[in-house]
Amino acid sequence: MKESYVDLINIRRKVFVEIAKMAYEDTDLRELEKAAYNIIPGEVAKYRENIFRERAVVEERLRLTMGLNVRSIAEFTRVTEGIDEVNVDETKFIPDLVNVITFACEACPTRALKVTDNCRKCLAHPCTNVCPVNAVSIGKDRAIIDQDKCIKCGRCKESCPYSAIVEYNRPCAAVCGVNAIESDYLGRAKINQEKCVSCGRCIIQCPFGAIADKSQIYQLVKALKTKKNMYAMIAPSFIGQFGALTSPEQIVEGIKRLGFKDVVEVSLGADITTLHEAKEFLQKVPSEIPFMGTSCCNSWALMVKTKFPEQYEYISDSASPMVETAKYIKKKDPDAIITFIGPCISKKLEALREDVKDYVHFVITFEELMGMFVAKNIELSEIEISKEVQDASTLGRGYSVAGGVAEAVKKTAQLLDPTREINVESASNLADCVKLMFQAKAGRKNGYLLEGMACPGGCIAGPGTLASTTRVKKAVEEFKNKAPYKTPLDNELIDDELKNK
Amino acid sequence: MKVKVCMGSNCTLLGAMSLLDQIESLREIIDENEKEYRDEELEIESIKCLGYCKDTDADIAPVVIVDDDVIFNATGQIVMEKIMDKMRI
Repeated sequence: MKESYVDLINIRRKVFVEIAKMAYEDTDLRELEKAAYNIIPGEVAKYRENIFRERAVVEERLRLTMGLNVRSIAEFTRVTEGIDEVNVDETKFIPDLVNVITFACEACPTRALKVTDNCRKCLAHPCTNVCPVNAVSIGKDRAIIDQDKCIKCGRCKESCPYSAIVEYNRPCAAVCGVNAIESDYLGRAKINQEKCVSCGRCIIQCPFGAIADKSQIYQLVKALKTKKNMYAMIAPSFIGQFGALTSPEQIVEGIKRLGFKDVVEVSLGADITTLHEAKEFLQKVPSEIPFMGTSCCNSWALMVKTKFPEQYEYISDSASPMVETAKYIKKKDPDAIITFIGPCISKKLEALREDVKDYVHFVITFEELMGMFVAKNIELSEIEISKEVQDASTLGRGYSVAGGVAEAVKKTAQLLDPTREINVESASNLADCVKLMFQAKAGRKNGYLLEGMACPGGCIAGPGTLASTTRVKKAVEEFKNKAPYKTPLDNELIDDELKNK
Repeated sequence: MKVKVCMGSNCTLLGAMSLLDQIESLREIIDENEKEYRDEELEIESIKCLGYCKDTDADIAPVVIVDDDVIFNATGQIVMEKIMDKMRI
């Protein structure tokens, strides 16, 4: 989340509330045609040049939240076009997950170095002297960069004593670690779906709110209304997300009041994943594989799969904490219908995988969950509850902060085999993950445990969060210390078989 | 000076925690230039929903109270300016 994009965040969340309300109140879906007027009332534009465009963009957000595709502006289609297909009580995924709302995109120019009016045409003009392709000259008013010649190395910018040269980039492309942002024929952002790993960074970075993902909240609420065996599991970064006065216990109880039978910490699955990965590492590195990558971040795993197919087998075979938690629930109740609630949108794709889809049936974000709380008038901080939430170990609860996964696996592996030295290295944004994999591919990370995360700082910075990373990091630390178990090996909820060497 | 930030569901949805972060960050600015500000503690409190939004159909979240001044549709911009104006000598 980017806290300073206040208006964009608020519109996005109001859309979640609107759709959740429609689901809870069984509103006739033809009303969707009017919904944009609830979110953008009146007749005066507040955010864009006119209110018609504001509402048009909100209508696409409403559609995406329903799980539908963005419409083409070139032909007549109703807001409700295709609505029957998603008016169901199970996940109905229509590709793609991450979408550009084309008419919200302002077609920002692509990356370039530009001279601003800070330029004083100084005598030294280092900008011209350091340019490797002779693209900078001194014009009448200021330095001029010949954009045809410029190779965007940025040396002129670094050399300028007046900070007069800036590097300009589209926010969506600048933040994309896999270069998946391209342009359509009008210069608007277009996502190359072959490259995209659905980390969602572009969604939160676009200052025009032109990129959005699809949601499953409508179908989830429908399921909650008709089905009894609904379970929720909540990712380790949930601590502190739902208001400064709300305790973890109140969050869990609040989720139950939405219609869930029970709620389990995904940190429990993290403990199980830790045990699997620790054993796998001890067993396979270095005899079978030169290094091992962690498996919990789906965008990281997808990136390795698409960009480093030969090294993909070095990513741990262990299932992610989401899947392990779901398997734990399924063991207790084979008919369980399970919803993952987390900071992540990439999990929406992971849940569709052939080997995962029977365990995880819905995936929503914390933001979307907050929308459901508001739609259902649940005041979390006023819930009275004494039962403690105690499913996981200190190490499992640390998974959501960068470095936490590797720490858990390393510590556990060393408890299992104290003779082993384990080197770890972490990267927590996709660009750095790519760099790390290049080094590993070149053989420079042999014997290492590599922790890859797509979001800067870890899951606590996921696109579906509500609270700042500093706030959540602190809260996670407190919650870690309250854990009843220190390591996964102490966790009484896990089968002893898995804890044996 | 006392600032209260509502942490009800509506307010949390619409950025109450970010407002709290922003207001808390003012302490740094004030501490760095002590002489320019009143020698008075900036008390910041998160409070439970006061029910203002339940009494009306209008969108009023987030709610922040600066001393006795109740601010509806609070933004960082408005709230921080108000606090800084009151704190400055």
